[in-house]
Amino acid sequence: MKKSNRKSIQNVLYENPGPRMRARIRAATILSLFLLLLLLFFIVRQFLITGQLDARYWSFFLRPTTWRFLGMGLLGTVEAAALGGIVALVSGFFLMLARISRFGTLRFLSMIVTEFTRGIPTLLFIYFFFLVIPQFGIKMPPLWKIALPVAISASGIVAEVLRSGVNAVPKGQREAALSLGMLEHVVFIKIIFPQAIRFVIPALIAELVIVVKDTSFAYVVSFPDLMQNAKVLISNYDALLSVYLVVAVIYIVINYLLNRLSLFAASKMKIEA
Amino acid sequence: MNLTTLLEQYGKLYLTALFTTWTLTAISFSAAFVIGILITVMRISPVGPLRAAGEIFVQIFRNISGAALLILLVYALPYLNLLFSYYTCVIIATSLIPAAFCSEYLMSGINTIDAGQIEAARALGMSFFQIIRNIVIPQALRSSVLPLTNLLVSTMLTTALASQVPVNPRELTGLVSHINTHAVGGVLAFFVSAFLYSATAVVIGRIGSLIDRKVRILR
Repeated sequence: MKKSNRKSIQNVLYENPGPRMRARIRAATILSLFLLLLLLFFIVRQFLITGQLDARYWSFFLRPTTWRFLGMGLLGTVEAAALGGIVALVSGFFLMLARISRFGTLRFLSMIVTEFTRGIPTLLFIYFFFLVIPQFGIKMPPLWKIALPVAISASGIVAEVLRSGVNAVPKGQREAALSLGMLEHVVFIKIIFPQAIRFVIPALIAELVIVVKDTSFAYVVSFPDLMQNAKVLISNYDALLSVYLVVAVIYIVINYLLNRLSLFAASKMKIEA
Repeated sequence: MNLTTLLEQYGKLYLTALFTTWTLTAISFSAAFVIGILITVMRISPVGPLRAAGEIFVQIFRNISGAALLILLVYALPYLNLLFSYYTCVIIATSLIPAAFCSEYLMSGINTIDAGQIEAARALGMSFFQIIRNIVIPQALRSSVLPLTNLLVSTMLTTALASQVPVNPRELTGLVSHINTHAVGGVLAFFVSAFLYSATAVVIGRIGSLIDRKVRILR
């Protein structure tokens, strides 16, 4: 839906250009292509001048051990993101329940917590788990030290997303179920929530992108994720630029695929609805 | 350490840190906004290479993790003989990431514009740039006030990246780690920063919805 809409507005902006406009578009195409190639040329030239394209900076990427090591780091990232995602989903669910409950105090508390977690950077939560929690003598494995702050920071948005899903379920369904004699919590579990969660799957996948990005601060708590393993590779091969470039590309590809998955889920929902 | 002693000892630092966070946010958001508009114009232009370049820019910077981008800027660029100060690197990172999201929000704002308006403008003989400047951008801006408000808040959250490199003066996140490594600031040191962050976010949110109510185009 969104895609076709965008296309239509782009088509409308310049549909059927006349001969003069066509000539100008062609000229602009050639000029911009030239400028972009020039930019690319200067980037590559800079790499060449500084010797960053030398074989010794890139050849170790041909070794399987390099990829095994990066893969292990990636596994750490996935582990932290999965744990963080699950905890965020569960705590977001309870925050949402509190937000729609019939007790005013609960609603207010949930609103405060939601606003609080949404307005604070993940890094601050990470420092809380890294610096403050140990002051109370609580020992936590590094995986939890990164997954928990990431989860807390995502939980507020997850709660809001889930609430928007619950609100999207037509009111008549709840009334119909109540009039059939179902109890309020049964209505919620059996009728409302299964539909709500399906409405918000695309938004939840999009939120997972933020979780994956946030786990890249795992080096603060020295949890072996992609970034942390990259550091080891760098000191082994004395190749900082190439390793970090590859790591950045890995992050971009993962998150790009997650975003595509979210769009795909959204388009599927549209067809079924 | 209780609140009074904490504020006595670090109150001034907190104020500077808050101001630093605000400054970083303002600079980054302004830069992100300008870059975002430029990228959006590229993405809707009839020029193929520009469209592709805009699309690539957005996909790179909305998907890269902040830590990876900052580390590339700070530690990898010097290998290419490109030396920037820590502060500049932070500003670049905290501008480019929100710029990509800004462009995404503007694109969906543009998509809410009725195609008939553009056809009408073309029928009146307006050029592509006239249409963009007088019809598309104003409406796209007006219908993206709320997303842009959220963007301002998330730009503020992104500026916490500055705590990862030595910049002076410290911003709110860097200050907490500073206090906790030099003295036992405990939970309080954390909560003061957290409060300042979320209070700023709430105020931004309120102002945003006020502006939105004023300028939103009712369809």
